[in-house]
Amino acid sequence: MAFLLRKLAHGLLLILGVTLVSFLLMVYFGPDQTYNLLGKNATAAQIQEIHQQLGYDRAFTSRYIDYLHDLFTLQLGASNSNGEKVIDLLWRSLPITLALMLPGFIIGNLLGAGLGMLAAWHRNRRLDRLISGVSATGMSISFLIIVIVLQVLLCTPQGLNLFPARGWQVTDLPSYLYYVTVPTLSLVFITLGYNTRFFRAVFVEELGREHIRTVRAFGASPAQIMGRHVLKNSLPAVLTRVLFSIPLVIVTGSLVLETFFGIPGIGKVSFDATTNGDQPVLQAVVALTAVLFVVMQTLADLAYRLADPRVA
Amino acid sequence: MPGFEPTHRVWQKLRANRAGLAGFALVSLYGLIALSVALGWAGQEWSLVSGERWESASSEHWFGTNQLGQDIFQRAIYSVRIAFEIGLLVALTSTLLGSVCGAISGWCADTWADDGVVFITGVLDSIPFYLFAAAVAFAFQASAWAMQIAMVATFWTTTSRLVRAEVMRLKNRDFVQSALAIGLPPHLVLLRHVLPNTGHILLAQAAMVFVAAIKTEVILSFLGLGVQDGVSWGLMLAESTQEVLVSQFNNHLAAAIPLLLLLLGFNLMIDALQDALDPRQGSA
Repeated sequence: MAFLLRKLAHGLLLILGVTLVSFLLMVYFGPDQTYNLLGKNATAAQIQEIHQQLGYDRAFTSRYIDYLHDLFTLQLGASNSNGEKVIDLLWRSLPITLALMLPGFIIGNLLGAGLGMLAAWHRNRRLDRLISGVSATGMSISFLIIVIVLQVLLCTPQGLNLFPARGWQVTDLPSYLYYVTVPTLSLVFITLGYNTRFFRAVFVEELGREHIRTVRAFGASPAQIMGRHVLKNSLPAVLTRVLFSIPLVIVTGSLVLETFFGIPGIGKVSFDATTNGDQPVLQAVVALTAVLFVVMQTLADLAYRLADPRVA
Repeated sequence: MPGFEPTHRVWQKLRANRAGLAGFALVSLYGLIALSVALGWAGQEWSLVSGERWESASSEHWFGTNQLGQDIFQRAIYSVRIAFEIGLLVALTSTLLGSVCGAISGWCADTWADDGVVFITGVLDSIPFYLFAAAVAFAFQASAWAMQIAMVATFWTTTSRLVRAEVMRLKNRDFVQSALAIGLPPHLVLLRHVLPNTGHILLAQAAMVFVAAIKTEVILSFLGLGVQDGVSWGLMLAESTQEVLVSQFNNHLAAAIPLLLLLLGFNLMIDALQDALDPRQGSA
């Protein structure tokens, strides 16, 4: 119980921290929004009114508390560029991002685990060197380069021209596959090197343990050793890694892939907000993503405690 | 034991690692190029319009010209300097920040100073990097330094966490306790006996931050949050996203291949460094 309370308190503090950072950067020290909202020829009375509305005439703490209140009641305001409510905008684009990123994220991890397992099992032999070498090379290739090359190879008349270069008109399964394939391939390629390297390291460590030697001596097959002993014991490390890579992979991935392929998900929304200086949208995305991540982290900590009571 | 490992054994291990040596040679070559650009010996005509649009490679324009008729070779060479500038600045600053904060936090473990540092690293790590960079760019109104500020502000946390753990471990070791027992002031013990023993972490971590900074620049420049006026591999790649659609590949290749080789060289070098400096591997 004490553990539960401590973790919750820690999570709450972190939430205060991340919201404070986003408040400071995007609202308190952010650029003055007055003329963005009013245009150049505002009267003094109008300026006064908008300052009051935006809270520029109030003290720091009172503004921060208001900011928190608006954030947690999801009163996120409206986009500066087209007046759409931010919450509707996010609600509309979130499913697209998930549909776009999840296949690549899952395949990338599964493939990485498989290759990592192969390399770890054949440690220091030729297959291991090949896999490790290829993943080191993979990690040296920039995200952007992979996306450009795959687009040229698969989506343009210079290459195979099998898939669309831009857009997202998904109505049914075939159209989904038509639009999702190239972004998924890109994501798998980008993450595979990192994933393989991580899984190999985890499996190598588990395979080196003494109980594995005993299991081997009793004549267990490779599948039994891997499935029943190695995979199960490395599950906490694997879950931590998968969890912590979600913000990195999903956020970075959706920003670049959606911008590049013109797909209207959260990444494209954030990119457009950045280019247009659309403060309500950008601050909502930053704050909500960070809060969501803290919540997930806290839940994961609690889950470990349930799975393994030794965790302090 | 780190720090107790005789330096010559580290050298021996490094020298035996052929891939690592190749990586080191590659990085040094780039370093020389960056230096000669900085000294004004090469790559100075990166913004000059010296030809027609999309000329192919010739003896005059080694890699051809881009959409505006600028020489792609000059731009690629000049970008080496930009990459090193960003990489060095971010790596040095965040290593310094990370080692100072990590050392204080580890040395004063379980005090308010430690709690503060751990809390700040926790907060910064919870905000996805590219969104943080967008927020910083917004706050600083696309200042030329927004990208570097965002990188330093987030990249130091890993170094800090590693240094903190190492300092906490070293603090209880006999040589540190003896130094304290003979009455050496704590800040001197920290500076002379503890921090030098975290060198292996700082070196590898600085190299990794360097690589991360170069890779991040590419993405940020593509998103319009990176290098503002000038040229970099990221900007060249961003330009080339339009050009490759009309079969103009020179700009793309001239940025992609040097970038790939530099990152590969760095990754090989880092692996070799970590192998040689890893105290747990002993003399095997």
